[in-house]
Amino acid sequence: MVKKRRKPAGTRQRALSGGRKRVLVVLFVPSVERDGTTPIDQARWVDAALEMFGRVFGGATAYPKAKGVWRDDERGGVLVKDEPVVVHCYTTPADIQDDRSLADLGGFCRKMGREARQGEIGLVVGDEYFAIRDFGEE
Amino acid sequence: MKTQLNMDKIAKGLGAERQGKVAATGGYFGAMQLLADIEARFRVPSGGGRPTDPAWTERRLLPLAPRTLKKLEEIAAKVRQHGGANLEPMQLAALLIEKTTEKLSEEDAEDLVRPKRRASR
Repeated sequence: MVKKRRKPAGTRQRALSGGRKRVLVVLFVPSVERDGTTPIDQARWVDAALEMFGRVFGGATAYPKAKGVWRDDERGGVLVKDEPVVVHCYTTPADIQDDRSLADLGGFCRKMGREARQGEIGLVVGDEYFAIRDFGEE
Repeated sequence: MKTQLNMDKIAKGLGAERQGKVAATGGYFGAMQLLADIEARFRVPSGGGRPTDPAWTERRLLPLAPRTLKKLEEIAAKVRQHGGANLEPMQLAALLIEKTTEKLSEEDAEDLVRPKRRASR
């Protein structure tokens, strides 16, 4: 009788370790500084965001420029109009709740907020919007 | 199945403030993403003809239920109305299949082929 060959245990474990990529993370990469007029190097930040998402979560997609507006309440409610690039990344519940992944993603957002002189960096995770306003020291 | 995420943990890990719920995958926002995707990817072939994604080089017959085809026709018509590319229903089907396939993980693929456990009672 021919015995059925069993799959090595590790294979299944590896296949399952990734989990379902069902959590959408959306990052808005701005085009101007908080003053609404000074352009930032958006292409560089889009590339950097894609690189970070690729490294940390396994991939991402940057969409063409959109039109956006943000009300700066700390400057008397002035409207900052820009043309953000929206970056989408699908990841797993495990990865998005991993301390190291969160630190990498948060660190990137703070760096972009600080160096691109933003008032806020917006991030959507799953069905919730997160605002990062404290960019820390360099 | 709805994903349960610990949003407080995520906010703390990011150093962010929770600002509330959004609807990010459907409705108008989802439709705008679809339009943006079509506009970004569709190109007129060098030999002329209908705009398409140059990466779509394979052709297969796809059996569909009439109601599915009707739905695809309705959505494609709306995309054309809103000034998007001259999208055909089956191009929309290809786009949706591609987007869904990209989201599937290895686990999802295993779930599809995993034999169903028989009731032992």
